[in-house]
Amino acid sequence: MKAARLFLLGMVLAAPAPAQSPEVVGRERTEFAEWLATSAVSPWRAVVVRPIGPGLTLGPASADIPLVGIAAGRIGERGGRIVLSTGDREIGLSRGRVQTVEGWPLVVNGPPGRATLTVFGRGPVRGKSLSHYPYDPKLVFVVTLRPAANAGTQTLLSPDGVEAVAGNAGTVQVSLGGPSRTLQVKRLPGATADESELEIYFRDGTAGKGSYPAGRFVSLLPRPDGSYILDFNRARNPFCAYNTVYPCPAPWSGNNLPDAVKAGERYDGGGLEVKLP
Amino acid sequence: MNPLHVALGLAASLLAAAPPPQSPLDGRWRAVLDLSGGALPFELALSRENNRLVAAICNGPKCADQAVVTQRGDSVVFDIADYAATIVAQRKGDSLSGTYRNVGRNGPRSIPFRASAGRWPRAVPPPALLGSWDAWYLTDQRRSPRVIQLTAGSEGLEGAVTSNTGDLGMFWGGGTVDSFSIARFDGVSVYILAGRLTGDTLRGVFHAGLRTQTRFVAVRSTGAPHLTAPTELTSADTINPFRFAFRDLEGRLVSQDDPRLRGKVVLVDIFGSWCVTCHEATPDLLELYRTYRPRGFEILGLGYEVTGDSAQDNPQIRRFRDKFAIPWILLHAGASVVEETAASLPQLRGFTAYPTTLFLGKDGRIREIYAGFRGPATGAQHAKQLEDYRRIIEALLTEVP
Repeated sequence: MKAARLFLLGMVLAAPAPAQSPEVVGRERTEFAEWLATSAVSPWRAVVVRPIGPGLTLGPASADIPLVGIAAGRIGERGGRIVLSTGDREIGLSRGRVQTVEGWPLVVNGPPGRATLTVFGRGPVRGKSLSHYPYDPKLVFVVTLRPAANAGTQTLLSPDGVEAVAGNAGTVQVSLGGPSRTLQVKRLPGATADESELEIYFRDGTAGKGSYPAGRFVSLLPRPDGSYILDFNRARNPFCAYNTVYPCPAPWSGNNLPDAVKAGERYDGGGLEVKLP
Repeated sequence: MNPLHVALGLAASLLAAAPPPQSPLDGRWRAVLDLSGGALPFELALSRENNRLVAAICNGPKCADQAVVTQRGDSVVFDIADYAATIVAQRKGDSLSGTYRNVGRNGPRSIPFRASAGRWPRAVPPPALLGSWDAWYLTDQRRSPRVIQLTAGSEGLEGAVTSNTGDLGMFWGGGTVDSFSIARFDGVSVYILAGRLTGDTLRGVFHAGLRTQTRFVAVRSTGAPHLTAPTELTSADTINPFRFAFRDLEGRLVSQDDPRLRGKVVLVDIFGSWCVTCHEATPDLLELYRTYRPRGFEILGLGYEVTGDSAQDNPQIRRFRDKFAIPWILLHAGASVVEETAASLPQLRGFTAYPTTLFLGKDGRIREIYAGFRGPATGAQHAKQLEDYRRIIEALLTEVP
């Protein structure tokens, strides 16, 4: 009986670390590209991102956001609740969830008082694609997360341009051929209330010369021994690189690498052009 | 059979693909989701229902109907409609491999999935670890309290993890002399809790989703309260009668003046059809309803749903009503965002959890509030909560208005 017990536990405890290979990274990219091409709320499809503020009108040409098919609508915030009124109908809009009105997918995000409305287009995505540097196995690091001396939080923009409360998770060190560099790691909200992501938003020598000028995000991937994988091949653009309607996260202080990180997602123009300071 | 042979055989069958012809998918499949920190084991129980193939998702002995299964060639799709999630897998003989997916905010949330025909072996719970543990989850030098309960179940180790606002449902797994690992997958929750005892301290990691890992330390519960009491999280205006006005599923406005409620002791269930804990609480509410209704007790369900739009939400509430044959008044109260729910119930302060349970006296004033719900997986905590509910209802029923 002991062997069976060990078997079950072994299944759970001794699983391998996530495979690090060009194939795995390739699959992740394909899946993300598919989502960008097909999702009703793909950043490639977004047409407007606007603060709701004291209220926005939707519909006719004279409205704040003209939308064909919506006669006259108004979206506003009442005690933290976002309400869309069209004709005799009132719809509560939950944050982060898609609500389609007359074929227009709408999403509300952001904290009470500073909510934003994103409107997505109804047509198919055309002429958009992702591009990446070739996979470079030398730009995959095993790193140790050194806890932050000050474990405070701050409000900043997530990759999708939405305001989020981020925790100071600490720092990691990498050497990209030269001296060791320190990168700030922050904990951003994940897909569910129990989940979070350890993210690094960094700029490097390729910024504005192949990669997106404002910077790229890369997530830390946990390993069973408590260390993390920092794989620059998984560096990805913020949504503002895909579409000018998104606000762009400001670069994080301290995460400006002088080295060129020729790995991960490239930038060929088309999103929000950010001038390097 | 020698258990080691069973184990080796299972491992081999997960890896090797048997040749066709393919048998029907009906029956049990032992499955895992491969998280960064390890494999999350669960079972799928496939059966025919009205000519459709459906799958229940099982964590140990506890199964819940969740998915509609479709097959096209070697492709098998499990559609988990309640949580807008899918498992898409390729079948090779007696194994399936593919991906669990739903949508996160910044793109797809996908986790590798694999399964093979048959059941997980029954695991033996580790006797030294059974009982209740006061835990702290440690995140970036902040800590938050949990109670971990480990019990011996019919198919191995069962567990419950309770926070200030309730538990996450039943976990299932196994252990060795000094370590344990229990997991839960219910279509949307993806959790593993694993730990090892060193001296008097249990240390380990709570895994959520593909790669969120939260360390914890725990010591044996002393009996002193470790969590904030559910009655101390949310407070209310207790001077004025509880006021509300929401529409029922037929669109009629219902308020505190409704004759079905006036002069009664009322339990207000602030719930959502999407909320796993609310599903766990409802059978207990049904029992309270049957016991006390003849003595002047009523239940009012205020549903906070995914969109806040009754045209889309009411079908979800009806589905919830029909699942449990709920006989009490159900109203569509709004959208399930804590801030929005709080704004729609301005007499509450510090609203934080679904479900939240209010007890109103015959005069309509709020007398007690319970935030969250300790489900059946929490054992004694569950029993105590129901005992509290009964005591409160009994006391309110004997009051002279």
